[in-house]
Amino acid sequence: MKKLKDFVTHLFVPKEENNFKGKALHIDFLTYYLVFALVISIAFKRMGANFSNVLGFATDITVDKLYQLTNEQRQKNGLVTLQYNAKLAEAAQKKAQDMFAKNYWAHYGPDGSTPWQFILSSGYQYEFAGENLAKNFLFSQGVIDGWMNSQTHRENLLKPEYSDVGFAIVNGVLNGEETTLVVQEFGKPLIASVTTNNNNFLPVPQAKAEEIKTQPVKTEKSTIISQSKTQPKINLTKVSWDINVIFLAFLLFALALDFYFAAKFNVVRIGGKSLAHFIFILFVFLGLIFFFTKGSII
Amino acid sequence: MKYLLKNIKKELNQHLFDYLILITAGIFFLVSLNLFKGEKLSEFVILLIFILFYIVWGVYHHLTDKSLRLKTVLEYILIAFIIVYFLKILIQP
Repeated sequence: MKKLKDFVTHLFVPKEENNFKGKALHIDFLTYYLVFALVISIAFKRMGANFSNVLGFATDITVDKLYQLTNEQRQKNGLVTLQYNAKLAEAAQKKAQDMFAKNYWAHYGPDGSTPWQFILSSGYQYEFAGENLAKNFLFSQGVIDGWMNSQTHRENLLKPEYSDVGFAIVNGVLNGEETTLVVQEFGKPLIASVTTNNNNFLPVPQAKAEEIKTQPVKTEKSTIISQSKTQPKINLTKVSWDINVIFLAFLLFALALDFYFAAKFNVVRIGGKSLAHFIFILFVFLGLIFFFTKGSII
Repeated sequence: MKYLLKNIKKELNQHLFDYLILITAGIFFLVSLNLFKGEKLSEFVILLIFILFYIVWGVYHHLTDKSLRLKTVLEYILIAFIIVYFLKILIQP
């Protein structure tokens, strides 16, 4: 027990034995952290490249979780839950692939294609339909929170008229950047279609279309990372998130202790300023918690 | 706790301008991240700019403090790049 206490003290408390600076903040220890960061950065990149279809590396977003969270929000607001619809999921998949193929990020394609075309071409005849889009979120909860915090998306998600929903999560390259797109298609089937299957009607789109943002068309290969409703076996995104949070918290803790004891023992030393390191890492930590996991929605 | 507050106050009084610059840069960093939310490349560039700023800030601070040593610069560089490589896993997987 004494050895453990000595070790912890040696790591965090400035004293003569550690040259009046917690060992955890010495140059050699900082070098070990850097080597560790480099190794896991390379290892995760390789695992992501080799096993992305299996592990769901790019994000922690799953269709299952999105479906569950969408229905939770509807239940909270006293609405009927939505049924998962394979045709709407197919439409969402087509929409996501179209965005990668034509390199755009909008409800309407540069060639004038509309969300309703994808829904109809998937064989879903609708009375009401809507679409929510999101990109580059890390977690399913973040996607739903993003939509719920935006009035138009919230209205779409909580529209009482809808009865069905479908999702697609597709990974590819958009504007030269690796991107994970999430497409959510809502619908209420047209009852008449069951008996007549007539395409000659004018659908009433319910989603508000945003301004079309088109980019020069590039042909990049898109890769589907997740369309299954099952949770990946190993969740690397969650693991890397946990490593980041734990490590930054550890550094902040070590710096705070070092600064406290240096002040208490009135230690004067030459070296980096613990207070400056603390402020710097605190800003990075805040960025990690509040912004790095968030994506954008339209 | 009194030692901590006393020392923070002392440090801030001695280098108020330097710390104001650092905190302002930190606020700009967070605002920029919010503006470019969801743009992975932009987020990474913003992080790199903040990291490089921090190294320059460290050199400037110790230069004015007349305590600049190679080991000190190395400490700032190491801390900055540890952060880059850890966050790189999340931002650019």
